[in-house]
Amino acid sequence: MNNAIEIKNLTKRYDDLFSLGTINMTIPSGQIVGLIGENGAGKTTLIKSLLGIINRDSGTIKIFNKDIDKYETLIKEDIGVVLDGMFFPEVLTGKDINAILKSSYKNWDEDLFFQYLKDFQIDANKKVNKLSKGMRKKLEIATSLAHHPKLLILDEPTSGLDPIVRKEVLDIFLKFLSDEEHTILISTHITSDLEHIADKIVFIDKGKIILDESRDDIMDNYGILRCDAEYFDNIDKKDIVSYIKNRYDYTVLVNDMKKIKKKYKECVLDKITIEDLMVLMIKGVK
Amino acid sequence: MLGLIKKDLLMIKSSMRVFAICLVAYVILGIIEGENYIISYLPAFVVFMMMTTFSYDEYNKSDAYISTLPCGKKNVVKAKYLTTIILFIAFTLLSICYATILSFTNSDLQLQDILVTILGVIFGVSIFQCVFYPMIYKFGIEKSRIAIIILVFGFVGIIALLSKLNININLSLGVTNFLDNYWFIIFPLIEMLVIYISYRISAHIYMKKEF
Repeated sequence: MNNAIEIKNLTKRYDDLFSLGTINMTIPSGQIVGLIGENGAGKTTLIKSLLGIINRDSGTIKIFNKDIDKYETLIKEDIGVVLDGMFFPEVLTGKDINAILKSSYKNWDEDLFFQYLKDFQIDANKKVNKLSKGMRKKLEIATSLAHHPKLLILDEPTSGLDPIVRKEVLDIFLKFLSDEEHTILISTHITSDLEHIADKIVFIDKGKIILDESRDDIMDNYGILRCDAEYFDNIDKKDIVSYIKNRYDYTVLVNDMKKIKKKYKECVLDKITIEDLMVLMIKGVK
Repeated sequence: MLGLIKKDLLMIKSSMRVFAICLVAYVILGIIEGENYIISYLPAFVVFMMMTTFSYDEYNKSDAYISTLPCGKKNVVKAKYLTTIILFIAFTLLSICYATILSFTNSDLQLQDILVTILGVIFGVSIFQCVFYPMIYKFGIEKSRIAIIILVFGFVGIIALLSKLNININLSLGVTNFLDNYWFIIFPLIEMLVIYISYRISAHIYMKKEF
C-alpha cells in the first residue's frame, strides 16, 4: 500500500512552553485518518507544518512519495485544504473565488465548483461575510474539492456546524473516499464524527503522538472498567492504562478487552468511545 | 500567481464604491481649484488600495490559506508587487487623461508641466511603496499603517508646499544638466533597482514568516 503522507522526525519548537515532536507518522493512501487531541496539543501545528504554513525545525515530509521541499508546487496541486478560521478575504464572493482558483490550480473544475455551490444552496454572488457559518464552511469545502485533489487536509471542518450540516459534510467526505486513491487527514474536536468515518486515529498530546492505531483496534481492544474503591485496589496495575477517581467509583481505561473480560468478571465493562479514550488518556492517572 | 493578482484586484473592486467617491470628489476639486498640484495626490490612491488588500489578507488570515495554494511563497510576494505596478500604470494613464482635460479647461496650465509633476510624484510614491512593503511583511499592516500614512502625507504635503511656494531645490549645474538630459533613463533605472531590492527583502522576510 502506498503512503499518502510520510513524516519522519518532524520537530517544531515555538518557545519553552510548546514544542511539537519528534513526530513520525504515516498515512496510507485510501484512508481517512483522524487527528485528535485537546486544544493546544499540536494538531494545527502539525497540519501547518505539513502544508508549509509554518517552517519546521527538522524532519522530512513526503506526500505522494515526493519530498515536499523539492516538489511543493506539484504536490499542492493535488491537495485540498480546509483550515480553521483561515480563508480568502470575506469581501470576495463565490464567483471571485472561482476566478482566483481557476488561475491557481491546473485542474480547477469550474463546473464542479458551481455544482457544489448549487448543491449546497450557496449564492455565488454573495460575499463570504454575508454567508452563515455553515454556508461558509460548505464554501470552503467546495473550494477544497473542486480541483480533484487526491488528499484532503481538514482542520476542524465541522466545528460550529449543526448536526444536519455536519452529516451532509461527512457524507461529502465519504463520497470523496469512494475513490480508493483518495486520502483524508482530519483534525477535529468532535470525536463522534471519527467513530463513524475514520480508519485510523492519531492522538496528539503536548506535541507528541501518544496513540496511532486503527479505529477498529481501538474499539475492539480498549474499554472502560467501572468499579468501587475496594475492587480497584485488587486490579493488577499492569492492566490499567489510566484511571479517574470519581466521587463513588473508579473509571479505568483498560486495553485487551478479551483478557480483561475473563479476568474481572464481576466488573462492569463498557465499550469505549473516542471521547472517553481522549479524556482518560489526558486527564486520567497513569 | 495570476490568481493572486486577480484576488487583489477583486478585493479592490469590492471596495471600489469608496474609492470611486473619493476619486470623483478629488477630480471635481481639481477642476474647481484649477491647481495642478492636486494631481500629486492621485497616485496616493494606489497606496490606499494596496493597503486595503494587505488589511483584508491580515484580518482574514488569508496568508495561511494562500500558503496552501500551488504557487510558492515567493510568488505571493511577487503578485503583490505586480499588482502594485499594474495599479501605478493604470493611475498614470488616468492622471495623464485628467491632466489633458485640465489643460483644456485652464489655459494657464501647461500639459508638459503637469506631466512632469505626475511622473515625479509617481516616482516618489512608488519609491515609498518599496520602503513600506518590507515593513508590512515584517510587522503586519496594522502596525505599519500609521507610519505609512504619516510618510505618504508628509511626502505629498512637502511636494505640494514646494510647488505652491514655488521653491526649487538647487542642484549644481552639472547635475541639473545631466538629469535634464538623461532623466528618462535614470529615473526608470533607479525605480527598477529599488523595486527589485524591495522585492528581494520582502520575499526574504515572507519566506521565513509563519502564519
